[in-house]
Amino acid sequence: MNRTLEHILPRVQKPARYTGGEYNAVVKDRRSVDVRYALCFPDTYEIGMSNLGMRILYGVMNEMDGVWCERVFAPWLDMEEEMRREGIPLYGLESGDSIADFDLIGFSLGYEMAYSNVLNMLDLAGLPLRSEERYGLAPIVVAGGTCAYNPEPLAPFVDLFVLGEGEEVSQDIIHLYRKARDEYWNKEEFLVAAAQIPGVYVPSLYQVSYKGDGTLESVTPTEGAPAVVTKRIVQDFDHSYFPVKTIVPSTEIVHDRVMLELFRGCIRGCRFCQAGYAYRPVRARDPEILIQQGIEACKDSGYQEMTMSSLSTSDYRPLEHLCDGLLEWCEPNKVSLSLPSLRADNFSLGLMERVQHVRKSGLTFAPEAGTQRLRDAINKNVTEEDLLRSCRTAFSGGWSSVKLYFMLGLPTETDEDVLGIADLAEKVYQTWKEVTPNPKRGVIITVSTAWFVPKPHTAFQWEPQISMEEYLRRVKLLREHMKGRSIKYNWHDSQTSFLEAVFARGDRKVAQVIEYAWRHGAKFDAWSEGFDFDRWMEAFRACGVDPTFYANRTRDKDEVFPWDVTSVGVSRSFLWREREQAYKAVITPDCRAKCSGCGANQFCPGGKCDA
Amino acid sequence: MHRVAFTKADTAKFISHLDLMRTFQRSFLRADIAIKHTEGFNPHAFVSIPLPLSVGFSSSCEVLECQVLDTPLDEVPARLNAALPAGITVQRCYEAARPVKELSYVNYIVTMEYEAGAPFGAESAIRELLARDTLVMEKRSKKAKSGKVEVDLIPLIRQATVEERRDTITLDLILRAQNPGLNPELVVAAIRQHCPDAAPDFVSFHRRSVLDEGLQIWE
Repeated sequence: MNRTLEHILPRVQKPARYTGGEYNAVVKDRRSVDVRYALCFPDTYEIGMSNLGMRILYGVMNEMDGVWCERVFAPWLDMEEEMRREGIPLYGLESGDSIADFDLIGFSLGYEMAYSNVLNMLDLAGLPLRSEERYGLAPIVVAGGTCAYNPEPLAPFVDLFVLGEGEEVSQDIIHLYRKARDEYWNKEEFLVAAAQIPGVYVPSLYQVSYKGDGTLESVTPTEGAPAVVTKRIVQDFDHSYFPVKTIVPSTEIVHDRVMLELFRGCIRGCRFCQAGYAYRPVRARDPEILIQQGIEACKDSGYQEMTMSSLSTSDYRPLEHLCDGLLEWCEPNKVSLSLPSLRADNFSLGLMERVQHVRKSGLTFAPEAGTQRLRDAINKNVTEEDLLRSCRTAFSGGWSSVKLYFMLGLPTETDEDVLGIADLAEKVYQTWKEVTPNPKRGVIITVSTAWFVPKPHTAFQWEPQISMEEYLRRVKLLREHMKGRSIKYNWHDSQTSFLEAVFARGDRKVAQVIEYAWRHGAKFDAWSEGFDFDRWMEAFRACGVDPTFYANRTRDKDEVFPWDVTSVGVSRSFLWREREQAYKAVITPDCRAKCSGCGANQFCPGGKCDA
Repeated sequence: MHRVAFTKADTAKFISHLDLMRTFQRSFLRADIAIKHTEGFNPHAFVSIPLPLSVGFSSSCEVLECQVLDTPLDEVPARLNAALPAGITVQRCYEAARPVKELSYVNYIVTMEYEAGAPFGAESAIRELLARDTLVMEKRSKKAKSGKVEVDLIPLIRQATVEERRDTITLDLILRAQNPGLNPELVVAAIRQHCPDAAPDFVSFHRRSVLDEGLQIWE
């Protein structure tokens, strides 16, 4: 270990997150590799190590000959201070080498509030923030992940964005990089060639012009770059890489367990949900493969907890078979299985009862809206009857806590819908009273509301976020109607949701605001320790950028969006149709009941998707 | 009961006590070495480390207690080592013979580094300090109401040698291990407080051996 590092680590909190050396961390001989890749996660070690995507890409790249991929996380505030004071640049956890000397630096963008950390990490690495100020071929700064579906707020800082699933395209980029280096291309030559790789968006190759009202006039590709970059997906999900052998952190992380990925995509089509549209089409993994992967991953890691990951676990067709197969091994081996993201139906509850027979933890449901009309408008196909029936079963089976998640500010929401949340909570309480076997024990019903953030590539991409005053009024209204000691109400902080709404649909003008805010201390905006709303408002003022233009404006049907240059494979006309159905409160059946013609079947062999 | 003797160095120095226990529990599973579980509602592999090591200290004499069920003891070190993170190395696994209460002293090597070389007179000042009749320091305490408690270090120091090299001063300390034990950080704090001129720029701590009442190796 580096001596200076050894000197500062005793002074910082949780030093184990800065040392590397965990079980299964990949250490290669520097002389045996010719491409060094820094896989960066712009948040803490505990958060980043919990991300399955990071583990997949780490494994995929380290399986490549001659490539050494290392992990890099955002150092916490105390560590950053020490690193800056001692002149330690941002380093890869495996080698301890400064990432400024690496060939590629890739950021995983999962959350808009991490943008300031991306800039901070580039700076900690000792690199200029802006792509145009980094002259040489290396390092190339790459970014991917969900937020890359609107790459524009980070466009000036990132050399190339990767859209969609990274397993294959990351390898394509590395192959091209090798060729570029061996043939002495300069950075521009490399980027022009990289833009031809499907799924790669090189922002510097696009000229952007604006109208007088501030909206986009046009986005013009140059140097032969494609007008629209379509995301990449892994078609054969059964045979795609899964990290059976994966790093086991020596310190506790957020999701400290084996994660099995059941399927990608979602059949539901909730109109607010970016993941539901962006990860289409549905591709499931064979249950026998999953059982084998789960068992092997537990054996290899020593984890005694396994969880399933997908957007909607209940929609995995062979779920029961999968659970049976896993339980057969898990029970005698004292490994506990958890099933998140289940729908509120009886089948799911029965399954949970069977799986979690040891501890009866809380039940969680996400009705999202308080009335049937609004649930229909957002296409959240859960009825009150479903929910209450599930609660009835659960409460009579002895469960005594339930969490209900909602959003406030959904398009078409009225006060009646807001109060519907309180009504629903009350009905859940009454249900408990009717059926509980132990009334003395009491019940805890936790109601949480988030502030709806309209996202790109959804049916609500044209919608305004309601104003902050209006959001707070609705919170107050709901709070006043939330009665009873058994019902606990939490609401999401308004300030970060507002900024999220700005960044989610921001254009390149927002980039200067992010840079300004970072120069004035913004970092760790997803954490109360780092977030300062006034600093951001000051940044908007200083840059002459109006945040409400992005957050609170209703867009015209045909407005050119900053994210139009990216495609998730779902057509804009489909999304508009969904928006119109929302205003009529008409539901769209799930993909299994009836194909709604979204366009994502273009990714499937023969145009037929396996919903 | 069995004991696993191991060393903790390099990156593993920064694994905390609780994290280390979890790491061992998982390593036993990875190595496919069955150990006894606790009884009760939520059974888990039973491991215990009698003398927790402070975060950042290295050690060549750590001990973990557990009950190996059916793996031959001489196979345990190699199998565990293949399953442990970098920096932790198991040397031996043996049947516990002596009770933990006979573990009386710990030998620490404390290396105090001085960027500009060890200051003149520092060595003798430290020697004099540790030769006093009493040396009372304030120590954080979870039990005391004020959060602080006063401790006299001298009765807890069985032996201390001080040796100066060009830019380091090394303390070879034999300190009481338990009831109450003395953490060598408190000795360094005393040096900083009473001999400010001898205050080091950086200190590293190494636990070299654990000893019984007669200063023989305890294992």
